[in-house]
Amino acid sequence: MNKHKITDNMKTAADMKIGEKARIEDIDNSHPSSHRLMEIGFTPGQEIEMLNKTLFNDPISFSIRGSIIAIRKNEAASIKI
Amino acid sequence: MKEQTTVNKTPLIAITGQPNTGKTTLFNQLSGKKFKTVNYPGSTVEYSVSKILSKYAVNANILDSPGIISLLPVSPDEELSVQTLFNHPEYGTPDIIAVTVDASQLSRNLYLVRQLINSGFNVVVILTMLDLLHKKGFDISDKKLSEILKCDVVKVNSMTGEGIDNFLTSVNKSIQQLGKMSENNSVKKNYPLSRENLLKSYTEIEQIEKDVIFAANIPENINETDLVKINKELVVLNSPGSFQKPDEFTLKLDKIVLHKFWGLIIFFLTMLLMFTSVFYIAAPAMDLVNEAFSFLSESASELLGDNWYGNLLSQGIISGVGSVLVFLPQILILFLILSLLEDSGFLARGAMIIDKPLSKLGLNGKSFVPMLSGFACAIPAMMATRTITNKKERMLTIFIIPLMSCSARLPVYALLIAFLIPKEDALTGGLTLTLIYIFSIVSSLVIASVVNKFSKSFLRTSDNSSFILELPAYRKPKLASSITSMFSNAKQYVVKAGPVILYLSVILWVLTYLPNYDPVVNETGRSEDEIVMLKNSERIATSYASEIGHFIEPVMKPLGMDWRVGVALIATFAAREVFVSSLMVIFKVTDTGEDNQNSLLSAMQNATFENTEIKIFTPATTAGLIVFFVFALQCLSTVAISKKETGGWKIPLMQIVTFTFIAYISAFITVNGLRFFGVE
Ligand SMILES: Nc1nc2c(ncn2[C@@H]2O[C@H](COP(=O)(O)OP(=O)(O)OP(=O)(O)O)[C@@H](O)[C@H]2O)c(=O)[nH]1
Ligand SMILES: [Mg+2]
Repeated sequence: MNKHKITDNMKTAADMKIGEKARIEDIDNSHPSSHRLMEIGFTPGQEIEMLNKTLFNDPISFSIRGSIIAIRKNEAASIKI
Repeated sequence: MKEQTTVNKTPLIAITGQPNTGKTTLFNQLSGKKFKTVNYPGSTVEYSVSKILSKYAVNANILDSPGIISLLPVSPDEELSVQTLFNHPEYGTPDIIAVTVDASQLSRNLYLVRQLINSGFNVVVILTMLDLLHKKGFDISDKKLSEILKCDVVKVNSMTGEGIDNFLTSVNKSIQQLGKMSENNSVKKNYPLSRENLLKSYTEIEQIEKDVIFAANIPENINETDLVKINKELVVLNSPGSFQKPDEFTLKLDKIVLHKFWGLIIFFLTMLLMFTSVFYIAAPAMDLVNEAFSFLSESASELLGDNWYGNLLSQGIISGVGSVLVFLPQILILFLILSLLEDSGFLARGAMIIDKPLSKLGLNGKSFVPMLSGFACAIPAMMATRTITNKKERMLTIFIIPLMSCSARLPVYALLIAFLIPKEDALTGGLTLTLIYIFSIVSSLVIASVVNKFSKSFLRTSDNSSFILELPAYRKPKLASSITSMFSNAKQYVVKAGPVILYLSVILWVLTYLPNYDPVVNETGRSEDEIVMLKNSERIATSYASEIGHFIEPVMKPLGMDWRVGVALIATFAAREVFVSSLMVIFKVTDTGEDNQNSLLSAMQNATFENTEIKIFTPATTAGLIVFFVFALQCLSTVAISKKETGGWKIPLMQIVTFTFIAYISAFITVNGLRFFGVE
């Protein structure tokens, strides 16, 4: 079932720097928000750009599919890049 | 199974679509209603149904619903929408589903459209936000999209009404076909929700997007300088994937608004400015209202003379109602600023900035907008919590919303501040009000975190805590529509509060006037004015109100108040704004040549405990009263809506007990603490 589980050594969207662009490799199935993240447009193959971090580096906003979407850091960590 | 009654009933068109795509704007156009349309995903949290205006010549009902991302709901507002789509408890399954699609974010929107089509709904696609698409330098072919999706696609600008006729033509065509539709053409949730299916759907959508979106044409006959400019833009346009770039201006502004440091400063300055300006801008308008009502009550008293009905009209009704309406300008300004803020797109950023701190307290970034609208009124605020996914966070938000200083408290604070601080000193007055607001926010957060600590015993949920929010493109707030919404909000306020104030003023007046309505006083050697004053105080001292008041006086004494304030406080448990009018009636503010508000203030200044020289309203007791009002839950409608939204009596009862207790204790501590430090 967990073939989309992300192991610790992979880079995720939570590790990106402001202004950095990356392509989504995979979404961690085990995160409870994973389905909603994909529904809202975070699908493998899409390019994302990290736009802003707020004071505590959480939440983080990304540019995806022409929209700006803010998500929590732990949710970003389920997006493998 | 439900009976098939499509032939006879009025057809129902349900508007659905992703959040913030212009559903309510379209609904308002078609129905003539004035529901809130703001630039925040999740502004609509309840469905509403209306007939289409007769000028559009379509006999159908139209339904507006909260925005959804997909047919798999994760929050109460989405659940409501999905349930409405599949089987509305009252209207059944809608005959036509009109899906609004934000053309500037096509692929994310088409995901829902395809789910709806695959479920067997009769879908019409409405392309909105075309101006934003054009601003990006692109256009969309509605014809091609229609061919691919095999359903009608129309371009509509709901703000101007442009394209609505095309939509109605399509609707009419569909309605005509309704009767011919076969019985077995029913909708079902038959779309697979698997990950594979989702990804396949998005792959197909990406192809559709490529097919229908194209770079906007260069207009003919343009001059040379424009051509240079357009050429420059073309370089940008032709860069691959530039359609996938969010609004340029928004990206730039976000660099400041969401900046780690400046973002926080801007956030707090905005909040501060909002609360202080409520105090300032309103001042001249308040004077006007005050003078008008003073004039009315004086004329009534002169016209009818000094008898019971003259007294009832001028002192019971007119000054009672007037004393609260004086504060309407402040409330109007609060509503206006809130709605301008909402419309700019700032609130979604506010929610993001505050998410981390709030989640530490057991709340959520999405609690921010409901809490903020709690400053206008707790009722829509509690409903607005439906966008919060996590049950515990939602219940906790509902729990503390009554602590937000709603507009009904404004009259009370304003009066008490006016008592403490001379009117000329608007700056200190404004700052004091801001301080009260800050105090109420801080204490609500403290209470939230305490309740959160003990929440396991009564809020048993282990849902995922999540924050996923689209940050919409910034827009210049539309002043005109903000003003409309301000007035409709104010109307609701007056309609809701008006009758309560009126009834309670009359009841209180009766209680203070009877049974000893014509007391005997020693008239020798006294001027006429003195006799009236003496009669008044004799009458009220022997009245029913006094009896009730003396009964509760033991509770009031520790707070440094007498029975008269007690009577006014009892009245406020129906609605807090009644406090001011109650004081007005109880202290029998008589015509002293001043306007109503000033004479209430001097009546308060002169009020002493019976047969003593000890003043009732001192800085200490007034501060105690303010603190009492910060915490006390004095609003029946709030209790009712809290029961509805939380699905039981547990939370509303907890709110009543906790908040009354805290209100009393902290008022006691304030009064006696201040006295201890030498403040009387
Ligand atoms: N630029 C532009 N703005 C629009 C258009 N239509 C609506 N708006 C604005 O978009 C914002 C959202 O509109 P709403 O009608 O509240 O959207 P909604 O779909 O009901 O949103 P939710 O209730 O949150 O799901 C408001 O500020 C509208 O004024 C349009 O065609 N172009
Ligand atoms: Mg809406």
